[in-house]
Amino acid sequence: MSELVVEPYDRGSIARLVESAPPAAATLTDDHRRSLAARFRAVPDTAHRRIDAWTVESAGRAPLGFAWTPAAARRTVATAALRRVVGCPGTPLRDAVRDALDDQVARARTGQTRPGSLGTWLDAAGAPVRALVVAEAIGWAGATLEAARRAPGPWTVPASDAYYDVAGARTTLRGRRDLEFAREGGRVIVRLRAGSPGASAGAGLRCDLVVAALADAGGIAPTRLVGLWPEAGVALGVDGSMEDLRAGARDLVRAALATRRRRLVLAA
Amino acid sequence: MTATTLSPDSVLDALRGERAARPAPDTTSAARRRAELELGVSEILGEAVPGTPVLIYASSLRASPRTRDLHDSARGRVRGTLVSLLLRLHAVGADVGDPFDDAICAWRAEGPAPELLGLVEALDPDERARLATDVTAHYVTLTRALGEVPAGWAARTAQRASLRLGAGRVLARDTVDLVVGSSGDDVATVALLDVTTAPLGEGAERALRYHALVETLRTSVVPRRSAMLSTATGEFWVRDVDADLLERSVHDVLGTLHELWRAR
Repeated sequence: MSELVVEPYDRGSIARLVESAPPAAATLTDDHRRSLAARFRAVPDTAHRRIDAWTVESAGRAPLGFAWTPAAARRTVATAALRRVVGCPGTPLRDAVRDALDDQVARARTGQTRPGSLGTWLDAAGAPVRALVVAEAIGWAGATLEAARRAPGPWTVPASDAYYDVAGARTTLRGRRDLEFAREGGRVIVRLRAGSPGASAGAGLRCDLVVAALADAGGIAPTRLVGLWPEAGVALGVDGSMEDLRAGARDLVRAALATRRRRLVLAA
Repeated sequence: MTATTLSPDSVLDALRGERAARPAPDTTSAARRRAELELGVSEILGEAVPGTPVLIYASSLRASPRTRDLHDSARGRVRGTLVSLLLRLHAVGADVGDPFDDAICAWRAEGPAPELLGLVEALDPDERARLATDVTAHYVTLTRALGEVPAGWAARTAQRASLRLGAGRVLARDTVDLVVGSSGDDVATVALLDVTTAPLGEGAERALRYHALVETLRTSVVPRRSAMLSTATGEFWVRDVDADLLERSVHDVLGTLHELWRAR
C-alpha cells in the first residue's frame, strides 16, 4: 500500500498533487470484479445495501437512518450550480445556486422525484430553509471552485458520483468525486470533505479510488485520488496502485460485514 | 484600530476597500506563525498527551475561562445563533418577512442542540415575544449596517475552520460569520466579518485577531481585513491584517492555552 501524500492546503498544493501523480494507474480486470462480487455475495443481507467511504470510515457505526438538513443538501445543490457556472462562465455563483435549487423544486412539483429525495424535501421546506441551503451551497461551491482554479490544465465537474452495482450481491458501491483533472496518462480525482481528516481518512480515500476504478468501463483507476479538507487546511492523496485498490476493496467488504452485524444486533 | 459607528451601507465598503489599493497577498507569514504556535504549544504542554485535545474557540479568547459573561447565558446564545442565521439569510438575498419566525424555521432545519431548542420551546408567550422583539431589533441593526450583499461577491457565511496544533493535542476551531474575497486572487481580497449581539470590548478585539490568524493558517494566505460588528450598539471595528496583528494573536492564543491547560 502506498503512503498517503500529505500537503498543507495552500495556493500551490492542488497543482503539486496533480502534477506529482504517478504517470499511470493500475487496471482492474474481469477476474478482479468476479472475485470482489464473490466476497460480497458471501456477506448476505436482508436488504439492498449501499456502501461508500463514509460507511468504511465510520466502521459500520454510521446511523442507518437519514434526514435531509441544509448541510446534507449543500453538495448536491452546489455541484449542480458548478456545472451551470462551467457551462455559462460569468454566471454569479449565487444565481447559479438558486437556479439549481429551483430546478430541484420544479422537478419535485412535476412528479419527477421520489419521496424522500432532495427535491421533495426542498419543496416541502419553508423559504428560510431553502435560503439556508443556498447559503450552505455557496460555501461548498466556492471552496470547490477555488480548488479547481488552483490547478493547471483542464478540469471538469463530473456528471455524477461513481456508482457500481456488484453482480448478484444486492450491493451498490458509491464513490464521491467533486473535480476531475485530465492529464497525460490518466486522471486525478478530487473530493472535498467537511471537518478535518481522522485516522481513517486514508481508508475512505482508497474506497473512493476503488469505486472510481470499478465504475470505469476499462477498469482503469485514477492515477491519484485527492481528499481536500478546506476547513482544516489539509489535502491528502492516495495513488492508484494495485495495492491501494486491494486495500480499498478489502475495507468495502469489511464495511458490508460490519453493517450486516449491526443490522442483526438491532433486529435481535 | 479603526473603531467607529458607520453609516448603514459602509460596512461592506469598508470590508472590500478601494480596489486599486489592494496589496499583493502575503503568502509567507503563515509558516512563521505556525512555527511560533507549535513552539509555544510544545512549551506549554511539554510531553503531556491529554486524553482529549484542548479546544480553543474565538469565545475562549473573548473572556477568561474562569469568568462568564452575561452574554454567555443560554438565552444569549439562542439570540446570537438566531441573529447569525438571519445574517446567512440576508447574505443570500432572502426575503425575510418575520425575522424571528424565519430564524426559528431555519434553525430547526439545522438540527439545533436539544437543550437550546428546549429553552425556546419552554418560553411562555410573554418571554417569547420579548425574545422575538430582541432578535428583530438586532436584525434591523444588522441589515441597516450591511445593506444589500451583491450577488457577484459570492459571500460565504458561517465559514468553519478546525486546525490541529501540537500533533493534534490542541484544536483551534473557528466560525466566521461572513467572508468575502478569495485567497486565490492575485491581490489580497479576503475580508472576514464577525457579527456579535454583545457590545464590543477588549475580548472582541482578541476575537477579531483570532479570526485573522486562523484564516491565515488555514489557507496559508493572510486575509486583507478582519472586522467585527455589534448588533447591540451598531459599533463596527475593522482592522487591516498585518504582521503585528498576527503576532499579537499568536500571543493571545498561547496565553489562553496556558490558562486552559492550568485549569485542567
